[in-house]
Amino acid sequence: MRAAWLFPCALALALAAPAGAQLPGMGELNGLLNKAKALGKVGDSFRKVGEAEEIQLGGDLAGLILGAAPLVEDQAEQDHVNKLGRWLALHSERPDLPWKFGVIDNGDFNAFSMPGGYVLVTRGLIERMRSEAELAGVLSHEIAHVIRRHHINALQRPLREQALGDMNSYFHPVNTGVLPGQFRDALMKAGKEMYTQGLSEEDEYEADRMGVVIAARSGFSPFGLAGVLQTLSAATGDKAYALDAKTHPDPVKRLDALDAALGTRLDALPGLIDDGASFIALRAPPPPVIAPVRAKPKPKGKKG
Amino acid sequence: MRPLRLILPLLLMLGAPAAAERAQVIRAGDLMAQPFIDAAKAGPITAAQGVTILKRQGGWVQVMADGGKTGWLRALNLRLAAGAGPAPVVRGGPKLALQGGAPPSPFGPAGMKAKRSSLTTGSSGKTVSTGVKGLDEENIRNASFDAQQLDKLNALGVSADDARAMAAADKLAESKVDYLKKGKSK
Repeated sequence: MRAAWLFPCALALALAAPAGAQLPGMGELNGLLNKAKALGKVGDSFRKVGEAEEIQLGGDLAGLILGAAPLVEDQAEQDHVNKLGRWLALHSERPDLPWKFGVIDNGDFNAFSMPGGYVLVTRGLIERMRSEAELAGVLSHEIAHVIRRHHINALQRPLREQALGDMNSYFHPVNTGVLPGQFRDALMKAGKEMYTQGLSEEDEYEADRMGVVIAARSGFSPFGLAGVLQTLSAATGDKAYALDAKTHPDPVKRLDALDAALGTRLDALPGLIDDGASFIALRAPPPPVIAPVRAKPKPKGKKG
Repeated sequence: MRPLRLILPLLLMLGAPAAAERAQVIRAGDLMAQPFIDAAKAGPITAAQGVTILKRQGGWVQVMADGGKTGWLRALNLRLAAGAGPAPVVRGGPKLALQGGAPPSPFGPAGMKAKRSSLTTGSSGKTVSTGVKGLDEENIRNASFDAQQLDKLNALGVSADDARAMAAADKLAESKVDYLKKGKSK
């Protein structure tokens, strides 16, 4: 596929040579071919990356966000978010991606996703959820970004001018002599741009429409996401929401669009819930019945 | 400043829940006696009327309208007042450090590691939530890739079966639902 367009490219270079020059021999033609290959740009080929490549990109971009805020050291919370997220992803078109969900240790409200099935939400977001259905709505919105490859869409333009050889050596480091560093640097730069400027508005609206459906398919009220958008709409000027607000369309417009798409269409679904028992237990663990330390007479009376 | 000084002790006295959200009705209609589309009507409500949210349930919100009437409205027929969102609630209970991921390497990115350990209290190893440092544009622009953290994240994933087990325990009901088309705004 790639060679198919490289060849005419090299030929064009050959023909563009000064009229007085002789037609190149085989050796020279090979040299020109290599030159064209080295000069070739990523162009639209980034758009066509496969699943393994998506996962590699996603890992690097997740590592970048984790460099800004590390994971919360709370195994129980991380486990729950992963089970919930995986359950939701099972109701998408890409249930078998190696989905990884993480809560990052920051008090601001934000959620990030990366190609290949990585989703990160802040501790501050979790702390502002009224219900598990709201969290399911957020995770489903991010899952929609992943399955619709919205990040690839956003990264395509800043990466298209990179050298194709650099991209190939980034994805397949053993195949070429070119160091993958240059493409990776460009990816990180483009990633910083994407996570501070946002995805396309159309992609955000699409992720809202898909997110409510993924949540509903999974047994959660689709109105969880609407509740989150209401929270955002009431948070104008609150610094904890500043980056999320900057990178997304106006929440009132998102609510209007969601209202128009949703109406009462999902009202008749049976058995939808706002909170699962394990989420309630996670948030407000019951006081331990048996003290973890050996029984000692305690002078201070405990409640209960 | 002065009104706050007057109100604050009052709020403390009443033990007012921080969750009382104020909102405005978007479209005129009826309050319903119950959270169903065919429930009995509980009185008319006008556009832009102020309400206090009492409870959320699926696509419905129980409100007390200014003037005292109580009933249910569609959640999407409300616009929250500025600042009315939920206050953060910190998770209670014990927190165990993450089990997975590669052990910290002595050759790893030392800068990041040293920076983080300052957030960790001596013996307990518990992370201190400062709640001050935000995650803004500059933090992301200045971030560098953290391989150790990515290892930890990669160790967090669960199997489809683990996810199904939780869903079964929580009685989550699956449904077949098509994706929504773009709607026409009202």
